[in-house]
Amino acid sequence: MRPSRPSRRCHGALAAVLAGAMVVLTACGGSGGASATDAATAHGPIKIWYSNNEQEIAWGKQVVDAWNTAHPTEQVTAEQIPTGKSSEDVIGAAITAGTEPCLIYNTSPAAVPGFQKQGGLIDLSSFADGTSYIETRTGDLAKQYASTDGHYYQMPWKSNPVMIFYNKDMFTKAGIDPTNPSLATYDEFLATAKKVVDSGAAPFAIYPAPSSEFYQSWFDFYPLFAAATGGKQLVADGKSQFNTPEGLAVANFWKQIYAEKLAGNETHTGDSFADGTAAMAIVGPWAISVYKDKVNWGVVPVPTADVMTADQIHTFSDAKNVGMYASCTNQGTAWDFLKFSTSQEQDGQLLTLTGQMPLRTDLPTTYAEYFAANPDYKLFAEQAARTVEVPNTPNSVEIWQAFRDAWTSAVIFGKSDVQQALTDAASKIDQLAGRT
Amino acid sequence: MTTSITRSPVPRDNPATPSAPDAGGGRRRTSLVTRLFGRQPIGMLLAAPYAVFIAVIFAYPIGFAVYMSFTDYYFTAPGVTVPHPFVGFDNYKTVLTDPAVLASFGHVGIFLILNVPLTVALSLGLAVALNRAIHFRTFFRTAYYVPYVTASVAVVAVWLVLFNADGLVNQILGPLAPDPSWLVNSVWAMPMIALFVTWKGLGFFILLYLAALQNVPRELYESASVDGAGAWRSFRSVTVPGVRQATALVLLLAIVTGANLFTEPYLLTGGGGPDGASTTPVLLMYQQGIQQGNPSTASAIGVVLVILVLIVALVNRRLTERSER
Amino acid sequence: MTASRTQAGPGNEQDADRPVPVNVASVAQGARWHRFLVMGALFTGAVVFLFPFYYMLVASLQRSPNMSVGGAFPSLGNLTLDNYVKINAALNLWQALLNSGIFAGGVLLGTVVFGVLGGYALAMLHFRGRGVLFSAMLLVLVVPFQLSMIPLYVLIARDYGLGDTYLGMILPFAINSTAVFIFRQYFLQLPSELFDAARIDGASELRTLWSIALPLVRPALLTAVLLTFIGPWNEFLWPFLITKQQSKQPLAVSLANYISVVQASTANPYGSILAGAVVLAVPAVGLFVLFQRHFVSTDLGSGVKG
Repeated sequence: MRPSRPSRRCHGALAAVLAGAMVVLTACGGSGGASATDAATAHGPIKIWYSNNEQEIAWGKQVVDAWNTAHPTEQVTAEQIPTGKSSEDVIGAAITAGTEPCLIYNTSPAAVPGFQKQGGLIDLSSFADGTSYIETRTGDLAKQYASTDGHYYQMPWKSNPVMIFYNKDMFTKAGIDPTNPSLATYDEFLATAKKVVDSGAAPFAIYPAPSSEFYQSWFDFYPLFAAATGGKQLVADGKSQFNTPEGLAVANFWKQIYAEKLAGNETHTGDSFADGTAAMAIVGPWAISVYKDKVNWGVVPVPTADVMTADQIHTFSDAKNVGMYASCTNQGTAWDFLKFSTSQEQDGQLLTLTGQMPLRTDLPTTYAEYFAANPDYKLFAEQAARTVEVPNTPNSVEIWQAFRDAWTSAVIFGKSDVQQALTDAASKIDQLAGRT
Repeated sequence: MTTSITRSPVPRDNPATPSAPDAGGGRRRTSLVTRLFGRQPIGMLLAAPYAVFIAVIFAYPIGFAVYMSFTDYYFTAPGVTVPHPFVGFDNYKTVLTDPAVLASFGHVGIFLILNVPLTVALSLGLAVALNRAIHFRTFFRTAYYVPYVTASVAVVAVWLVLFNADGLVNQILGPLAPDPSWLVNSVWAMPMIALFVTWKGLGFFILLYLAALQNVPRELYESASVDGAGAWRSFRSVTVPGVRQATALVLLLAIVTGANLFTEPYLLTGGGGPDGASTTPVLLMYQQGIQQGNPSTASAIGVVLVILVLIVALVNRRLTERSER
Repeated sequence: MTASRTQAGPGNEQDADRPVPVNVASVAQGARWHRFLVMGALFTGAVVFLFPFYYMLVASLQRSPNMSVGGAFPSLGNLTLDNYVKINAALNLWQALLNSGIFAGGVLLGTVVFGVLGGYALAMLHFRGRGVLFSAMLLVLVVPFQLSMIPLYVLIARDYGLGDTYLGMILPFAINSTAVFIFRQYFLQLPSELFDAARIDGASELRTLWSIALPLVRPALLTAVLLTFIGPWNEFLWPFLITKQQSKQPLAVSLANYISVVQASTANPYGSILAGAVVLAVPAVGLFVLFQRHFVSTDLGSGVKG
């Protein structure tokens, strides 16, 4: 007889086998961890991860070498993890399996609430000088990085204040003054953008990514929202803050940009500013090393509804921080290394090698020589004092995904009414922020 | 009779055949061994490595996923204990009433309707043609196989460029090009993905059919042409029944691949397409389970998906079996 | 019989030995027209199929990307092998290819050895638990990877301690269930007479498998080898999770990392990405070209009638 399709009896047997297996196996759960207090003061070799772009690798190698030379018994081994979409997934999976390293120099603030919920992060405030070190180094901005219980589960490390880059040559071609373009208010920005596209200088005026990943709103909505509200976060005290006239104005501004085809609504492969597809970009100083040979660029702060002076304008920080993770057995060394790698000297190295802004107070005066030699970066250093971070709230990723879904629907593709979309998103996000 | 060759039933319990040494005797003497282990218990030995593999690699994760779908679960670091309250069917209720989830199942339905018949028809037709072609045989076979072989990640980049608003395809089509261009058009996004996946997967199914065609005896074609059958007739009466097993396999695999679509919507339409027009259940599972840390609802979606696919596969099997009797 | 030795192809219908009941000339004309149609369709299809790959190849050889229609036809001035050099410098192609090879090879070994045994047992042998095993195999085929991803990672990285090892990479893929399904299907298609004959002669099951069944399912074996190879060769997500050391990562992972990191910072990232993709695709295509010669008829009919 040909083996026939298994009968219901066989399905039942299979289900029973699986059920039995799962009961048995889930009963033997994971093993316990080491005692917390011993680990906090232990010293010894540790492992760290840092991101794998060229400049950060250069910084990472030199800081590890410097430490290893001075501390032969507490060697640091470093590995790279890829940046980009999947790094949070990798970290999350590693936390679950207990295979993550002591320190990860690529921890996204938006992922911190999730990692904290998993029990994957070590409370830095539990170190004697934890809170004081963080708050002295980062100043007022540090508060944005504290968790809901007031403790710090991440060390604020570096930020990339988001500003508007523009292509001076394209602007000249379009008949706009390249040293002083009118990009300060929404109206001026729209007029300039239209002029650039109509004159044929560039196919698009600006090209933020139109795709639906949860973090994309950090580069179109959020910087302008921060500027418009003088530094508000998306969510505060468990309530959404964007269903307001300012939020609506920002949304309508972008909606008009998309409606008039000043920005593209299809995913663009590669950097649109670098390859000449767009005349402007909304991005932070890490991009300077990419653009410097390709584009004759200038930079201005993000636009606001009414004219504001540069020293009043806030923006999104696009920060990447350092977390100390639960599997760390030599936390004493990890904390010492963390302080070493965020010292004034090492922050200076970070600045020099990568052009990204350490989250340290008073950058322009602390590194005055560097900025004298590299005036391009000075604007960013000044902007770095007024950055807004993503809110440290439960369900942070889900909140941003809900926002992004509303944004793509209403603003990018014009499928729904903007006000309605914001209201719906706000009520959904209120629920998520309140849910533990 | 030659026609018995195409009938796949393989009689195994013919009492006339003396049994293999370790099985029980003829039908009349059912020994303890036979009753306990079946007629050819060496089968257990041969299948054991595979069975162990499945048990070790898949039983735990799948069982665990089912468990998660009935509790309020999230992953924690080792040594961290948190309560995982049993919530019954709550996750399923949430998932089945979520319009985004239902929409994603709808998208998969559209995909399957477009992709499966096209795949079966095209791959069989092409396999038959490739089997008979003498000239340039290697070139043709390779040509159809190449898309299957290249990594999705790379090929997607090419498609993104080709179907861009000012890409090659629209340049050729001119005024016929759809206004929001292909991949950002909520009507065209899912069909584009269906086209892409069909194109990419065809090589694999052609291979399956090619191998199956080798086993259709040539005598059948010859006797068909003696009886005056033309190409189409012999295709219908000889080829199609002859590769019935392969067709069942192709159908099953095409359905499973379509239902589990993740990479293409993720890459080709940037994580869900214009206003979520090309989301799929597995994409949502990835977003909710891995990005947002909600493996409970993700597992619920997964279990629902698996059940639906099993039902479809069962129906498909019944249909193809019935036509055989 | 001589008829079973003739070549495959439309020419069969005109075999002079065979009585032809219809007008020879019209049959010949019909057959030729028919052949042109088939060849024409095949050729058009092949062009359409190959076009994106061709585009990929051309773009990988260009110095600066040319997205217009003209860019599809490479202009000599724009050709360069630079992209290949660049991607090699960035990724250490040989090491990555080696890792891909080890990964795919391990999976092939497991599938060909244990998968064949399993497929044979499922198809031919009656044993307790066969139905359950068949259901389990079906379930493994149907369940998407994302559903089991995290528990699987915990299982392999934590419980078995196989993070950053080749074994850890290979293990979830060690026996490809699709291949097992295919083996089973093709074993089922073999005529029962062969096995009855073997049984009468007193051969054991293993002997039957080795001497009779295996040679007859060579096309299935080759098919299964080819498709089993592709899975791990192009697999990104699992090796990405399980390996952190760059020296262990297969090419698919290195390439994907490269894409996500370097897109914004190279002059023609597009070109070097596609160069890497071409390098990734070439061994798989090469393998196919080598093996497809063996997809010939096994003359099953004569074996039975004999």
